[in-house]
Amino acid sequence: MNNETATPVLEVKHLKKVFGKNEVLKDINEQVSNGQVICLIGPSGAGKSTFLRCLNMLDQPTSGEVLFEGQDLTKLDDKQLDKTRENMGMVFQSFNLFPHKTVIENIKLAPVKVKGEDDATATATAEKLLKQVGLENKADAFPASLSGGQQQRVAIARALAMNPKVMLFDEPTSALDPEMVGEVLKVMQDLASEGMTMVVVTHEMGFARNVADKVWFMADGYIQESAEPKTFFEHPETDRAKDFLAKILEA
Amino acid sequence: MKKFAKWLLLVVTIVVTLGVTGNMNTKADSNTPATDQYLSKVKAKGELVVGTSPDFPPYEFTKNINGKSKVVGMDMEISKKVAHDMGVKLVIRRMDFDSLLVALQTGKVDMVIAGMSKTPKRAKSVDFSNVYYKAGEDLVIKKSDLKTIKSYKSLAGKAIGAQTGSIQYNLVKNQATKSTLKGMDKDTDLILALQTNKIDAIALDQPTAEAYAKNTDGLVAINAHFKDEGEQGSAIAFPKGAQSLVNSANKSIAEIKAKNLIHKQYLPNAGKYLATGKSKSAKAANSMWAYKDFFVAGVGYTLMISAVSVVIGFLLGTLLALMRLSKNKIANGISVSYIEFVRGTPLMVQILFIYFGLGLVVNIPALLSGIIAVSLNSGAYVAEVIRSGISSIAVGQTEASRSLGLSRSMTMRFIILPQAMKNIWPALGNEFVSLIKESSIVSIIGVKDLIYQSRIVQADTYRGVMPLLITMILYFIMTFGLSRLMKFFEGRMTHE
Ligand SMILES: Nc1ncnc2c1ncn2[C@@H]1O[C@H](COP(=O)(O)OP(=O)(O)OP(=O)(O)O)[C@@H](O)[C@H]1O
Ligand SMILES: [Mg+2]
Repeated sequence: MNNETATPVLEVKHLKKVFGKNEVLKDINEQVSNGQVICLIGPSGAGKSTFLRCLNMLDQPTSGEVLFEGQDLTKLDDKQLDKTRENMGMVFQSFNLFPHKTVIENIKLAPVKVKGEDDATATATAEKLLKQVGLENKADAFPASLSGGQQQRVAIARALAMNPKVMLFDEPTSALDPEMVGEVLKVMQDLASEGMTMVVVTHEMGFARNVADKVWFMADGYIQESAEPKTFFEHPETDRAKDFLAKILEA
Repeated sequence: MKKFAKWLLLVVTIVVTLGVTGNMNTKADSNTPATDQYLSKVKAKGELVVGTSPDFPPYEFTKNINGKSKVVGMDMEISKKVAHDMGVKLVIRRMDFDSLLVALQTGKVDMVIAGMSKTPKRAKSVDFSNVYYKAGEDLVIKKSDLKTIKSYKSLAGKAIGAQTGSIQYNLVKNQATKSTLKGMDKDTDLILALQTNKIDAIALDQPTAEAYAKNTDGLVAINAHFKDEGEQGSAIAFPKGAQSLVNSANKSIAEIKAKNLIHKQYLPNAGKYLATGKSKSAKAANSMWAYKDFFVAGVGYTLMISAVSVVIGFLLGTLLALMRLSKNKIANGISVSYIEFVRGTPLMVQILFIYFGLGLVVNIPALLSGIIAVSLNSGAYVAEVIRSGISSIAVGQTEASRSLGLSRSMTMRFIILPQAMKNIWPALGNEFVSLIKESSIVSIIGVKDLIYQSRIVQADTYRGVMPLLITMILYFIMTFGLSRLMKFFEGRMTHE
């Protein structure tokens, strides 16, 4: 597995997020180094999505720091943030493809509009990515005509088109029919083995066990455990984690 | 805030000062030598702009002369003489009777002549010339009622119609207390109401009543027997303080009286126009086909006003919707107040306000005023439609877009608005259809749209229902056409 390198790609310090009176994240301190795959697990409502959204500032943290390549994102203005988000791809539970655009238009949109790539370059990249996720024959289809698994693979290709340094996944397979989970996990596994830095919120324990470099267990507003998968799954330390794993295995 | 208060005070002071100066002039009688600039301004323009409400034969009414609707009648001959004596051209502006004095006060016209009685109340806001004509009051009734109706007193428990704001309106109100009073803007509507048994009699001044009776089958005019309330007869109205114009008009009126021109020349001439109303050639001229150019012009104006207002209203609506959804408190506040205010006030008042109210500051022609008012109004409604469209797009779309590095405005432009448009297209279509219909209200300030033209045709032909039917059909063709067009584009959008 990867060794920790000099500066972490992502680092959060004393991250806190409050919605009204609801203290969702209380005090989070973690690091992600280059090439690392993190799986974030925890009970529903623990704040996993909120945490992920704080990493690319879709949610503004209440206090604390979010460092991307050493730069504190909470201090940046809107323009600088837009620039930073180019480097952090995100994949959502509900795919969120743009329904009024074809598959290839979905993928080309950001490279053309944000990076100013010319159409030919963007098209070439998009076609390459579609091939990578196994959907080269769906370029001109509209999202509505694709299955969930296909849509999610397009969403991954769309995020990859910006050539990001980190990929954030928020339960990418939770909305899928069981028979489609595998095709998406396969694409993610390929990405991991190519060395992509990834933070994955997931309930797929098999994926966490086999692919992750580290598992973070989140509950009650804190990361309760941060350990290698083998250690975590075989010897969970906290009662919270033991409970959680017991429930998962029952199901 | 303080600065604003100072400005307000200054403006008020100026207005009050001007008002006082104006009042001083009004105390003067007709022999007062004039010191104002009104006459020299009219002479400099080379034209005297006269406002009138041409549904009042024989004073003023319209006649289709070689395919063009012309205002004719006794008042127009007097106006011609007044203008001629000033050495300028006569320009006639048509509008509703109720709008005439406002138009005078706001400088839209130089004088008003409309068989208008000189009353102390009116004299408070305008200056009158000497009286040029005084007649008694008649009732127009159906021939079949001739035996039962002898005066206003016979109409207890029945309905009497009168033109809103007219002397007869007040006479009926004050004296025929046992009858119901029905006020309408147009004499032609009153005649129609009488013919269709909505009312039992119309109070009109004598020459007008006789003109209608003579030209409409089944109607007669009888003396109303109202008590004299000290009416002074008809006079010409001028802006307050326009003594130079009053003097000039009084000179012309004196000459008209000396030569007895009204009875010898003007009334007989007016009668000639009216007399043709029953002849064969007049029947042909009164067929709706003879008025096709009027309807075509009306449709043209209505379409033009609607099209321009749709475009401006759409742009304004989009802007307002974005302001309303923005985090900027000021932008949000402006947008919310604008939308609530505009949606909370009638379009009719907005049109009058823009034409007459803003008209005090800058002179905006009627057509432009109408377009501005309808656009501003439609913007508020479109804004709400667009806002609901934007809100209907799932937040996931915004999040996905922002996570790719698209800015807030790019997200709006490429992701949210295109989807929102598709969702709100039918609602937007309804909005535009109702805009075509509601634009009809611009006719009250004299914009020559379809309604306005149909009014003219009604007045010209003495036919009440047919022009309305044609107008209705034309509106339907326009709105139906538009909704088909919207459907067509909707189909193309979903085809994608
Ligand atoms: N925009 C918001 N406004 C108010 N409360 C919010 C908002 N977003 C999340 N929350 C609250 O924060 C808490 C954590 O939500 P979050 O979605 O981060 O949990 P999660 O761990 O991702 O759960 P799940 O497994 O169900 O996705 C919940 O109680 C939720 O109600
Ligand atoms: Mg979640």
